[in-house]
Amino acid sequence: MQKTTSPRPLSRSLILSIVIGILLIVVSSMVPAGVFTWLWDKLNIFATVFLGIFIEAIPYLLLGTLASGLVEVFLDRDQMSKWISHRPVAAAVGGAFMGMIFPVCECGVVPLTRRLFNKGLPLSAGISFLLAAPVLNPIVVLSTAAAFGWGNMLFWRMGVSLVIAIVVGLVFSVERDPSNVLRPVLTLSHEHDHPREAHTSFIEKIRQALLITADEFFEMGRYLILGAMLAAALQTFIAQSSLLSIGSGPVLSVLVMLGLAILLSICSTVDAFVALGFMGTFSFGSVLSFLVFGPMVDIKSIIMYSQVFRRRSVTYLVAIPFMMSLLAGVIFNYLQP
Amino acid sequence: MQKRLYRSLQALLLLGMCILLASKAASGQLTYYINQRFIPLTIFGIIFLALLAQTMFAEIKRARQNTANDEHHHEHDHAPASANLWFMLVPLLIGVLIPARPLDSSAFATKGFNTNSPLVSADSSAQLFETDSEERNILDWIKLFNFETDLAQFEGQKASVIGFVYFDESLGKNQFFVSRFVVSCCAADGFAIAMVGEWPQASTLKQDSWVLVKGTIKSITINDQTVPLILAESVQAVPAPEQPYLFP
Repeated sequence: MQKTTSPRPLSRSLILSIVIGILLIVVSSMVPAGVFTWLWDKLNIFATVFLGIFIEAIPYLLLGTLASGLVEVFLDRDQMSKWISHRPVAAAVGGAFMGMIFPVCECGVVPLTRRLFNKGLPLSAGISFLLAAPVLNPIVVLSTAAAFGWGNMLFWRMGVSLVIAIVVGLVFSVERDPSNVLRPVLTLSHEHDHPREAHTSFIEKIRQALLITADEFFEMGRYLILGAMLAAALQTFIAQSSLLSIGSGPVLSVLVMLGLAILLSICSTVDAFVALGFMGTFSFGSVLSFLVFGPMVDIKSIIMYSQVFRRRSVTYLVAIPFMMSLLAGVIFNYLQP
Repeated sequence: MQKRLYRSLQALLLLGMCILLASKAASGQLTYYINQRFIPLTIFGIIFLALLAQTMFAEIKRARQNTANDEHHHEHDHAPASANLWFMLVPLLIGVLIPARPLDSSAFATKGFNTNSPLVSADSSAQLFETDSEERNILDWIKLFNFETDLAQFEGQKASVIGFVYFDESLGKNQFFVSRFVVSCCAADGFAIAMVGEWPQASTLKQDSWVLVKGTIKSITINDQTVPLILAESVQAVPAPEQPYLFP
């Protein structure tokens, strides 16, 4: 009995798969051929846009994770607490200005900030740093100046971003217990978590830093890839023009630019050149809001934030900069329409 | 997943990523994806990925020696989630399996298509006046028509531009668009711009085929916008340029 029944499920599934196969062929032959070229075209657009975002972001992600690795190996907890004030306002302001020296964009800043939290950086300072660094760092300043010149746009971009970063940092300083904001770090157990011997050689330290860099590249790369896939899929199926046609009023145009900042998900180090393209159709305030909000929040950074922060904190990290960028954009639109 | 297996896979994926990017760079296909000005950064990325892969291979070797020498080596290290590795496979597979193809007219529907692109650039159109009219590309012409109020001065100037053919209902008989994508940063921000070409044999042209259009400039009005048109003396098929996009 056993022998005769055992092959049965196999043959049944074989028949089933043949039937499905035939059905697929019949159905696909009835579908107009245009559908397949349409699908193939869409797949090609998706692949090109996805690889575009990904290839563009890789060097920056590598730099960010390298910075994180170096911080882990070369920075002591004691040193950190000596440098950074624990008073909320001072910490938030300090964190925001710390962004001026680290050349990281929004992909690289996430692993670096998590590492700094690990080293005992106060919440408010870390949050301000997280939001400010992608705008205030030297590379972005230079690229913005290259696109818009050393003028109003650069000044207000930095100013408004600084204010938003500090305000959000202060909001988070209300929370005394970091574990309510941060997700527990599970994956950071490395060999080097052993109490470090005092006399590790420089080469050995570099080796450890590179190991951390690689681990974090994978860990953060995962969210970068997810975000890039989502952004590419949206761009493949949602027409940009439908977003642009929503409105051009002083409020609506800002909303459109904020939506575009989220959708495009381009790196903050180069977004100034993209924003330049909108100057003709959009007002100063709307483009400013794009330049302020884009580096703080877009599809890939939301997904990367959700790796480091608890869900409620991610909501704050997205909502407060959104409101404030909107406000700033609308104010500028009314001041200089 | 065992730590050693995890490390090995990491090393292979890093190496794979490095090779994928290096082959894209070597074949000149990087400009299908990013603005050429960022290619040096990608080269840095390639070198750094190779360095990381090398570090990983060295680490595997070291770990093997350690377990051989050191009997009480504690295996308490938990390898990070293996899902991280699967994700890194995605760009590799997409890069290898889907043939590289720059954005073309199939992307017009979502990426936008303009005959008067609102492009402003820090370098004003002033220097465009000095360039020989036959040296100007499509983007240059669009910029000039966008900036200048006195368009009559361009009429009759010689033009010679390369782009791909696109037919649209808004055009008259014997007319076609000659189009290029403009990419500031990466393909994600790409959008198309186009000039109109007019040529008696326009109907023989194939959608998306690359052409070199030579002729004289005239301005016409489409949808209330004044756009440059080339009265073509010759339209000749050319191979797709190595850099498919224009970089503002």
